[in-house]
Amino acid sequence: MLKKKLLRTMKLYRAQFISMIIMTALGIGVFTGFNMEWYTIERDVDSFFEETGFADFRIISETGFSEEECRAVGEIDGVGATSRYLSVNAVVKDGTDVVAVTVSENPAVSGFAVSSGGEYDPESSDGLWLSDRYADENGISCGDTLELTYKNLSFKGRVAGLVKASEYLICVPDPTQLMPDYSSYGFAYVSPAMLEKIMGQGFFTQINVISDMDKADFAEAVKDKLGKTYMIVSKDDTISYSEAMGESEEGKTMAAILPVLFLAIAVLTMVTTMHRLTATEKTQIGTLKSLGFKDRRITLHYVSYAVMIGLVGTALGIGIGFLLGWYIMNPSGAMGTYIDMPDWTLHTPTFVWIVIAAVNVLLILIGYLSVKSMLKGTAADALRPYTPKKMRKIFAERFSFWDKLGFGTKWNFRDVVRHKARTFMTLFGIIGCTVIVFSALGIQDTLDSFVDLFYSGAINYETKINLDADSATPDDAEEIAEKYSGDLEMTLSVQLDGEAVGIEVYDIRRGLIRFIDENEKYVGLTDDGAYVCERIADKFSVGVGDEIVFSPFGTDDEYTVKIAGKVRSLTESVVMTRAAAEDAGIPFSPNVIYTADTDIAQDVRIVNTQTKYNIMDSFDTFMELMVVMVWLLIIAAVILGVVVLYNLGVMSYTERYREMATLKVIGFKDGKIGRLLIGQNMWLTLVGSVLGIPAAIGILKYLVKALASEYEMELAVAPSTYIISIALTFGVSLLVGLMVSRKNKKIDMVEALKGRE
Amino acid sequence: MNIVEFKNVSRTYTVGDHEQKALDGIDLSLEKGKFIVVLGPSGAGKSTLLNLLGGLDSPTEGTITVNGKDISKLSRDELAEYRAGYVGFVFQSYNLIPTLTVRENVELVREIAPDALDTMKMLEAVGLEDHAKKFPSELSGGEQQRVSIARALAKNPEILLCDEPTGALDSETGAVVLNVLISMAKSYGKTVVVVTHNQNIAKIADGVVRVKNGKIKSFETQDSPASVWEVEW
Repeated sequence: MLKKKLLRTMKLYRAQFISMIIMTALGIGVFTGFNMEWYTIERDVDSFFEETGFADFRIISETGFSEEECRAVGEIDGVGATSRYLSVNAVVKDGTDVVAVTVSENPAVSGFAVSSGGEYDPESSDGLWLSDRYADENGISCGDTLELTYKNLSFKGRVAGLVKASEYLICVPDPTQLMPDYSSYGFAYVSPAMLEKIMGQGFFTQINVISDMDKADFAEAVKDKLGKTYMIVSKDDTISYSEAMGESEEGKTMAAILPVLFLAIAVLTMVTTMHRLTATEKTQIGTLKSLGFKDRRITLHYVSYAVMIGLVGTALGIGIGFLLGWYIMNPSGAMGTYIDMPDWTLHTPTFVWIVIAAVNVLLILIGYLSVKSMLKGTAADALRPYTPKKMRKIFAERFSFWDKLGFGTKWNFRDVVRHKARTFMTLFGIIGCTVIVFSALGIQDTLDSFVDLFYSGAINYETKINLDADSATPDDAEEIAEKYSGDLEMTLSVQLDGEAVGIEVYDIRRGLIRFIDENEKYVGLTDDGAYVCERIADKFSVGVGDEIVFSPFGTDDEYTVKIAGKVRSLTESVVMTRAAAEDAGIPFSPNVIYTADTDIAQDVRIVNTQTKYNIMDSFDTFMELMVVMVWLLIIAAVILGVVVLYNLGVMSYTERYREMATLKVIGFKDGKIGRLLIGQNMWLTLVGSVLGIPAAIGILKYLVKALASEYEMELAVAPSTYIISIALTFGVSLLVGLMVSRKNKKIDMVEALKGRE
Repeated sequence: MNIVEFKNVSRTYTVGDHEQKALDGIDLSLEKGKFIVVLGPSGAGKSTLLNLLGGLDSPTEGTITVNGKDISKLSRDELAEYRAGYVGFVFQSYNLIPTLTVRENVELVREIAPDALDTMKMLEAVGLEDHAKKFPSELSGGEQQRVSIARALAKNPEILLCDEPTGALDSETGAVVLNVLISMAKSYGKTVVVVTHNQNIAKIADGVVRVKNGKIKSFETQDSPASVWEVEW
């Protein structure tokens, strides 16, 4: 019999039940989905790295390594496998596309996975194993021939297979480009045999190593074996590994804030709803008790409501979670463009299941405690209807302005104070809605202003010309710079406190590159010393006025430079002017020229060119990913707002049903009563938004710091974000108010005002 | 002069596929300024009569005229206006707003009634001027009912409708409340209709309407009704 009651009661309170289920499902869904995102990246990247032998260390020498040297490194205790490796940027004939031609002597290290076509053949003299993404974007298929040019070498290759490689997990030509752009940049593996055919000899600038050793120990061991200090790039310093793990870290941060907010709201809504339900059913609880039902049986009955909500909510929630996970981690979506790996199997961290179980236990506990408080005492006690707290004068009534307030204001004011839990929950829902919308839009604003600052303000060139270090002398660089009215740059890798750091030395003549200080102002560099970015300053604990000492790899030269100031940088480097570098004794030998020209003639001294358009285009994809997230969050926020406010609105409506019936009998029109109800919502919404905006700014600051530290972004919020988030919150509140107040018309005055015992 | 005219009024409720006639073609005329009691057993149709007269419900057939105005075909909002301007209600379960003070409960009607009377005067008339700042939950049942009478009269309505006004009170308190009701109605010249199954109340009425099975069984007038204190409660 009680089972029938269970179902009928659920039908009676369907608004509450449905909203509780939606809240639980949304909470669990967002929680599961977000945690799935970072965990899937971690797991799938890991297994891809394992499968294709992503190197832990790369020993780098521009002059190349011999077979003996590679063997010697392989003999180091703690080194698993080694391979001589080469990656050079070659230009596709009759175009500007760049393909990184890659050779790995030992395919078990820094190898690739074939997605279609033939397996790798180390003896092949013309086979190309081309990036499947690049092939796809450019309409290339197996069997096609590709003609490539590297420096003064031209060669043809036949596409033997389409592949993915862990070394190119995030396939960008350099760190200034945030997102891969497969239409213009890809990679292709060739066999050592083909390399020999092209170059006449095997030439490898890297030894890639698989090893669990600590970087410092490894560097020491290499120095012992090879008798020289080499630049060593560990896994953590590669774009592929660090960006993928960064993405996973960002996911963790996101998963730690917003989904928890959803879960918290779900649980709190459960508290108010279960209390409300058992309070309304108090006389029924008393009736059951007086009929002779044991407390245990009655408790079980009411607890089963919580169980039902938990079960249905959890089932839906896990479904939403997988859907969300699949949507974000979709291999053909934005994330799939960013991270290029073959397997996108979704993985869920174990603790997610534990949290889901805990939420269910919590729901049951809430149900148990709610009915327990109604069951207290004798059957006669339980039979007495639940009486809300006696009305007392509220604080505001001590002031004279109180008497001047209209009846509606007083009514709403006292109602808000009387039902504190409901008011608190309403505020919580409104604040939640404002915070999520504001944060989502704020992140977008921050990115927009960042793009504007760097790509529209700091980058004024059209083309970046990369010179060939071997054939281009400083005089050649001067000549090319003059020809294209360019600015010059020298980049070099140096060792600073044992770490590899990039140095950028600029000779700015035409203002094609500008620098940004900590306050987002464009500044000119002085010749007084070097400029560091915030990350370098943090990493090496140095500040303005300190001196840093570094030495270029492969030399014993040491240079000392004073830090003259701070600039923001995308690439985490030390920046200085040509004059400052020459003062410190560093010879200026430029390898990059920036120009406003777009038409660059073929020249053996030029390795390749990159256009600003390439870089901007990649940023658009990055922004698309953000826009998807922003929309998902806004939709979730609106659902959250509507569900929470509707649930509470219906609760308030039920609680004040009799009062509204009285007003109606006295002669208040439906519209006027509706306006009173909506008025309360509007006031709470006002308070909620006023509290929500500063909360959102706090969360945003944290998010920007946690999510975008690698780009040194500053929080920027556009006025439209304030307007949209407040307007949307008010819109949601008004919509729910209208939905609830529409019910006014259904108030049965006669029924409602019949006598009560 | 008749203030209320019921002409062939019927009210049918449909429950499932079953039709139930709560009122079956009744005719009734009430004179202005009189104290009328409607008597009848449970389910006789007396509350339906009161609801139709109060504009809480509309008849399925027939016309109801109040003060020369047909109220049987009004829209929802027009009915609300009618309730605001013409009728005052007193219920068995007082129905005060718990979050408003005594004074505010009475003052409430100023929001909607065009000719509302002075709040404090009404509270004085029911003898509760000292409780003006209390909340309903701080008053006894009889006091709460007197507040609801003050509220009903503060609108300055033509008719005062009371559904078992003493039903929830003990007989002594009931007598006090009835006395307040009658004396106020007389001094303000209001028509009062009381629905009850308490035969004693009939003794103090100017007219007694007996209802049974949805029809009017009798309508007797009493030229010299008893005073509240003469009746054995």
